[in-house]
Amino acid sequence: MSPQVDRRGEGIVVTLDANEVDLLRAIPGEVRGALERPASKDDPVYNRLFPSAYLDPTEESAEQEWQELVHPELLQSRLAALDLMLSTLDRAETKRGRAVVELAPEEVEAWLGVVNDARLTLGTQLGVTEDAEAEAIDPSDPTAPAHAAYGWLTWFENDIVETLLG
Amino acid sequence: MSTTPLEVEEPLTDEALGTDRPWIVIVWNDPVNLMSYVVYVFQKLFGYSREKATRLMLQVHHEGKAAVSEGTREKAEADVARLHAHGLWATMEHPS
Repeated sequence: MSPQVDRRGEGIVVTLDANEVDLLRAIPGEVRGALERPASKDDPVYNRLFPSAYLDPTEESAEQEWQELVHPELLQSRLAALDLMLSTLDRAETKRGRAVVELAPEEVEAWLGVVNDARLTLGTQLGVTEDAEAEAIDPSDPTAPAHAAYGWLTWFENDIVETLLG
Repeated sequence: MSTTPLEVEEPLTDEALGTDRPWIVIVWNDPVNLMSYVVYVFQKLFGYSREKATRLMLQVHHEGKAAVSEGTREKAEADVARLHAHGLWATMEHPS
């Protein structure tokens, strides 16, 4: 079964299979590793998670000041979202063999942020393109599980957003 | 020949021009962020209507980028930070 996302008041209720819970539990560790990579403009994952604000090379000092001001904040809020997601998964109730988690609006934001950061990280590592149809991956390909996880997260994130947009 | 002295134009500094020339915040297309998610973020961060947010998202998707907000350098820096916090690829520029 696919994950189910339903509106409840200002928040949502997510219903997941056990293997989907396992995937979501594994994600914060992966995302933390990506977020805590050393700053390097040669690292595509770092650049994707923490892009430059200024493209104009004459604004180099403004860029540096902005990074120094903003980076610690961006990092901390994203790390806090990982912890919040894990703690909400801990309180999942089991109903008819599936895990049910009710999320308040700020918890939904945390989940969306973590799932999106996971997709940015995986998508950059896998070199995904916009043309999903062209990306049928051979099951024997060593990256097949990562592609499958990416695809599942894409559907899941879209379900959450469509539910929020109403 | 006229003997009228030439008027020397003082070159305007960036600071002098900066007062009326706003900074523009650009969101760039990328292969990961979902169309629905980008609409959601534009509505949430800027309070845009669904129609305006969708129009901007489609502009990013089809043209590769779109100007999503503008203002002082400080406002643009804050908007870029909020867009990055949501995983969108945003930069700012001061068009000449």
